[in-house]
Amino acid sequence: MSLGRFALKRSLQGIGVVWGVITVVFALRFVTPGSPINAVAPLDASQETRQAIAAELGLDQPLYVQYGRYVFELLQGDMGRSYIRGQEVTTLVFERLPATVELAVAASVVAIVLAIPLGVISATNRNDPVDYGATLLSLGGISTPNFWLGIMLILIFAVEFNIFNTSGRGVDVGDVALSVVNAEPFVGTLLTWLAYITLPAIALGTYFMALITRLTRSGMLDELSQGYVQAARAKGLPRTLIRYKHALRNTLIPVITVLGLQLGTLIGGAVITEAVFSWPGLGTLVIESINQRDWPALQGSLIVIGTSFVLVNILVDVVYAYLDPEVVTD
Amino acid sequence: MPTDNDDHVDRRTVLKYAGTAGSVGLAGCSGGGDGGDGGDGDGDGGDGDGGDGGGDSFELGVTMGQMDSGLDPQDHAETNTEIIVGQLYEGLLDRDKEGGIIAGLANEWERTEDGSVQFMLRDGITFHNGDEVTPQDVRYSIRRIVFEDVGIVSPQSNDLGLVDEVTTGDGQVTVSFEGFNPIAFQLFATNGPIMQQSWVEENGGDYINRNANGTGPFRLTNYESGNQVVYEPNEEYWDGAPEVDELTMTASSESSTRVNQLLAEETDIVTNVPPNEVSRVNSSDVATINSVASARIIFLQMRYDVEPFSSQQFRQAMNHAVDVESIIENVLNGFGNITSQPTLDGHVGYNPDIDPYPYDPDEAERLVEESGHAGVEITLETPIGRYLRDGQIAQAAASQIDSLSNVSCEVEQREFSSLVQDVTAPNIEDRPHFNLLGWGNAEFDGSQTLTPLLSSEGALTVLKNDELDGLLTDAEATEDPDERVDILQEANQLAHDLAPWVFMHQQFSVYGVSSDISWEPRADEFIDPDTATQQ
Repeated sequence: MSLGRFALKRSLQGIGVVWGVITVVFALRFVTPGSPINAVAPLDASQETRQAIAAELGLDQPLYVQYGRYVFELLQGDMGRSYIRGQEVTTLVFERLPATVELAVAASVVAIVLAIPLGVISATNRNDPVDYGATLLSLGGISTPNFWLGIMLILIFAVEFNIFNTSGRGVDVGDVALSVVNAEPFVGTLLTWLAYITLPAIALGTYFMALITRLTRSGMLDELSQGYVQAARAKGLPRTLIRYKHALRNTLIPVITVLGLQLGTLIGGAVITEAVFSWPGLGTLVIESINQRDWPALQGSLIVIGTSFVLVNILVDVVYAYLDPEVVTD
Repeated sequence: MPTDNDDHVDRRTVLKYAGTAGSVGLAGCSGGGDGGDGGDGDGDGGDGDGGDGGGDSFELGVTMGQMDSGLDPQDHAETNTEIIVGQLYEGLLDRDKEGGIIAGLANEWERTEDGSVQFMLRDGITFHNGDEVTPQDVRYSIRRIVFEDVGIVSPQSNDLGLVDEVTTGDGQVTVSFEGFNPIAFQLFATNGPIMQQSWVEENGGDYINRNANGTGPFRLTNYESGNQVVYEPNEEYWDGAPEVDELTMTASSESSTRVNQLLAEETDIVTNVPPNEVSRVNSSDVATINSVASARIIFLQMRYDVEPFSSQQFRQAMNHAVDVESIIENVLNGFGNITSQPTLDGHVGYNPDIDPYPYDPDEAERLVEESGHAGVEITLETPIGRYLRDGQIAQAAASQIDSLSNVSCEVEQREFSSLVQDVTAPNIEDRPHFNLLGWGNAEFDGSQTLTPLLSSEGALTVLKNDELDGLLTDAEATEDPDERVDILQEANQLAHDLAPWVFMHQQFSVYGVSSDISWEPRADEFIDPDTATQQ
């Protein structure tokens, strides 16, 4: 199978997954107690008002009609209108998505920048105090709930020392880029951006930092015991070259795979971090939509999250297939 | 409040150190020594508000628990949205901080001989786009709320009473009702935001929910759905432009995050500070707690048609079994007033002669015995996170009931939307037997609690009592305000005796307020930043 056909096959599978997400979420409407009408109408609304609202939202239609209409509109790129906000779901979702992606990428950067050096240092100093320290740190990172870590980071670095902002998203990465174009003070905008994003990125990235540290450490230990490393040593290659050019490169292949998959998880899984830091991303929209039974907004969010996850997976598969052609053959 | 401008960045002195150290590090030098100089030029390093308060600019931040559900002022029915759109739009009448009726877009109002109500509009009021407010705009706005065929199915359709028709004259608008409406002015003082007809008709729902064109004290400058709403003062405002130069409204669902924002001086007013955070705010030197008794009553509903709650003695026993004073003191840290009747003190129809049921477990056990339901097991259903410490209040009340020797009581926590589905079920037979609920009465009139919650036809009723129904019908038809008050007071006495609720408490609105500003909260849960001033 060619790489192109492999990518096409994965894409078709991805479409099936997204369709599954749509259908499952749609079905959840009917097994979840509560109704969006309760979020729209006041508690003392008359039954007539409730029925009129239901008719306006299309909730008085049979299930198959609602589902058919939704899928038909979706195929035309229309994700419907939010029951609660009266706004286009497409607009709502795509104005929240950049914040979530930005946070996910920032968290991944935090994780990579800290984890890979830590993992390498830990592996190359096996059973030394530095190894124990790195192991302890990664264990701590894996076992610390990120909502607790987030609150602690806010208390210490925002409230007590007033270094970072407690919450919110004052400027985005686009503003930082635009500051160069518009001849605005770049450093000022950059520091403002950092003041907002640093704490949530650390809170969200810590778990993955710990995970990747452990992965890098074990991968490095495996690679360092391989025959080609011993051969390289026998040839008299410098230790640094063996570690960083040969062993680390091979270690990074599974690390990159995991990173890619985790990026997809981060896009959908930043709900708690977004709540703690009032980060206006998709996670917040998902929670609000669930609480208010705003099904169109929830479905729109989950479709985008599901699609992002599928796309990242396809990308990882294709990259992996490129790196290891045996995957395609299999 | 810190802003995103350069001044604000300067205040983040340590971050600057980090940036400097990073640059130095990149240049191959070790950081450290010069860090102490990094903040030299700032001078405002610790001032918090140096950025915005240094000049004459007054920038005010308000952080609530949730953002709006769109900016259409007539297409929502919840407090957070009302606060956000209420800065932009206003009605014919308004309320002062205590709930009294004051002038709004109408500077005169009266009841006509046929029972209709007439409003005389102020001269020269303009919408934010500069167009003058006309009687036709007012007529359209009222009709858009009340009648489904005008544009939307408004969730506020019941809020103005049974409007029959709206007519216009020279600078005046007359509203007639189906029958007599004794509380028309109370309703118009709380409800009925005025929009411009042509602006609404020219723009679709998506646009109206993201833009604004009202007459309120603030104009919209930036709307980011779910993130923030930014306003500037309306310099043409009929009552004078607000002192605030820029208003920013944001939200954080986590109460600890809201408090942290306040203590880090990133915002100036935060809502719903939980009692356990009060001392943290008060002990800081940057903010204080400001609270006010709200128009919301908390109670435990008991359905009259199911055992054991079908017994009036059993219902009274439950009132004697719960130590509300203790709950207010220990669970709410004093942020509550004990209640004795459905109508709150200060609202029309409140009966000052009714005392709360005293906490008396022995009397409660005796009444349970007399009711014939000794040994009964009951379950109290409660929402979590909807009202101030609702779960803990329900737990405490259930525990006190459970401590009676002849009643067992446990708590069932319910997700609010799911509980509401049951509480608002069309048939009373499908409603919960025993549940905690809160009710906000923004009209400050007892009938607005008694009728929906305790009359036989009420949307949320748990009671059917002919005598009470008769009193409420009389109150509805009585044109003499004093006589109407007497009837409502009698209704409250009857409701107290029938005990369809365990009368709990009046909820307080608890705000954290920056020491840099002066602002007093309102009884109706609305926030009015236009009354805030710099200290």
